Amino acid sequence: MATIEVTDLTKDYGSVLGVDSVSFSVEQGEIFGFLGPNGAGKTTTIRTLLGLLAPTDGTATVLGADVRDDGEFIDAKRRIGYLPAQLGFNEEVTGEQVLDYHASVKGDRRREELLEIFTPPVERPIREYSTGNERMLGIVQAFMHDPELVIMDEPTAGLDPLKQEEFNEFIRGERERGTTIFFSSHVLSEVRRVCDRVGILRDGELVGLEDIETLLDQGGKRVQVETTDDLESSLPALDGVVDVNSFADGVQFIYTGEYNTLLRELASHDIREIEISEPPLEDVFMHYYGDDESTRANQEVESNV
Amino acid sequence: MFETTRYEANRRVRGTAILTIAISLYAAFIVWYFTILEGVDYEAVFESMPPAMIEAFGIESLATIGGFLGTQIYNFVWLLGLGLYFAYAAGGLIAGDIEHERMDLLLSFPVSRSRLLVEKTLSLLLPLVTLNVVVGVVIYVLVQAIGESIDPMYLVLAHALSIPYLLVCIAIGVVLSVLVDRAAIAERAAIGLIFVLFLVESVVGGASEFEWIQYISPTYYYDPTPILIDGSYELLDTGVLLAAFVVLLLIGQILFQRRDI
Repeated sequence: MATIEVTDLTKDYGSVLGVDSVSFSVEQGEIFGFLGPNGAGKTTTIRTLLGLLAPTDGTATVLGADVRDDGEFIDAKRRIGYLPAQLGFNEEVTGEQVLDYHASVKGDRRREELLEIFTPPVERPIREYSTGNERMLGIVQAFMHDPELVIMDEPTAGLDPLKQEEFNEFIRGERERGTTIFFSSHVLSEVRRVCDRVGILRDGELVGLEDIETLLDQGGKRVQVETTDDLESSLPALDGVVDVNSFADGVQFIYTGEYNTLLRELASHDIREIEISEPPLEDVFMHYYGDDESTRANQEVESNV
Repeated sequence: MFETTRYEANRRVRGTAILTIAISLYAAFIVWYFTILEGVDYEAVFESMPPAMIEAFGIESLATIGGFLGTQIYNFVWLLGLGLYFAYAAGGLIAGDIEHERMDLLLSFPVSRSRLLVEKTLSLLLPLVTLNVVVGVVIYVLVQAIGESIDPMYLVLAHALSIPYLLVCIAIGVVLSVLVDRAAIAERAAIGLIFVLFLVESVVGGASEFEWIQYISPTYYYDPTPILIDGSYELLDTGVLLAAFVVLLLIGQILFQRRDI
């Protein structure tokens, strides 16, 4: 049986549809990324998986337990670690007191070991914590009882790049130990670095379920080039060039084709400035899932911000 | 067991200490005030007061220390003040955690929702018991110190019987707390409701055709002044309060079980 099994899960808030008939499963020992722009329904799905929200329709089991049954789910919860998007620890208590409380309920076999990697100032009250420190404390509580499954909602939000890298390293180590990890993110580069498989959510619907390689192949690269001569007119001849935007001195496009072809073409031009980077998630959607719909999704993302 | 109660009670230690000291100081002031009022013509004082006020604050016999304490401390602080305080504190129990999204983590614990609710509610026993024990002892000592005497059993009864009443105030707060998502709303609604019930009982109590309305108010079932004067009380009243507490807590449980967080 899969560690997480979601079948036709629907959550209707009345005014909006949070998630619409989502089905997927997460196998034991894999790192599963749940990718989607803000407002796509990632948090709704996660909170349903933890029994915080009752599904309007469909079912979900986590570690074999039905999430709709509070009683049945209790035993499974002993083997689950959870890092929510908002931690909301009591302001006046110290990090130590928070961990003591969590330890008294679910155990803390790995607390010391985790506090060597993630270093929140546990002797200080939460009120003095930065976002990053609070997140690190959250990570420690999620893993300290050595759970079989860890569910995380935007785990690296607020962590500095160095800690993010340590976190990714740590997650890979956890997979080696056999822990199943399910986390949401809206950052493609984060997901590609650690995940085995990715589910892509947009407007409450699961629009893709991919191996990470497949996703990256289709994701392409964003290329920004400034040239002294005319590059733009020769671009349409290249395979895999989409979403061309020109600006004052150059051009920007998404390239999904073969790299050597692109480099040969670029070599025949006089290049002043070039940047090849990971495309934003919205752009991946744009050419992967069709223009019309994703343009809409893109606008929604912007309106959310 | 009771990890959550322990954690929550620890967070209440400071507030409980401050409240206990404040009420003890107020009690000291009232006891001292009694000594300087000796020799005042109470009949005249009664006549100058509106009957509704005498009714509302249970002013019965200001001439004895028992009646004086009942009026000035128990009717005022225990019945009204602490009733409001505990309803307010209970109002924030669940709604506060939901508002600050703490509830997400708490419900990921291997603990059922109903146990979490009960454990959080139990944490209010710390101020409830501490206030009754400490202030009760303080009042007894102070009364002895001014050379008056009060039956210690009456004092114990006045405090012990206040506990079921305050538990009902807590349960009213708990029900409101699981109904709404914002602590401030649950807290204000709880305070407002207790205050309205207090007024209903004291104002309507006098008007005979609406007499029945007073029975819905928990304040009707706890009357400290007669206990302090001659130790009289109705065990049935305490039973009604305890039953109401259990029923309200069960309603809170059911609502909490069914709601989305």
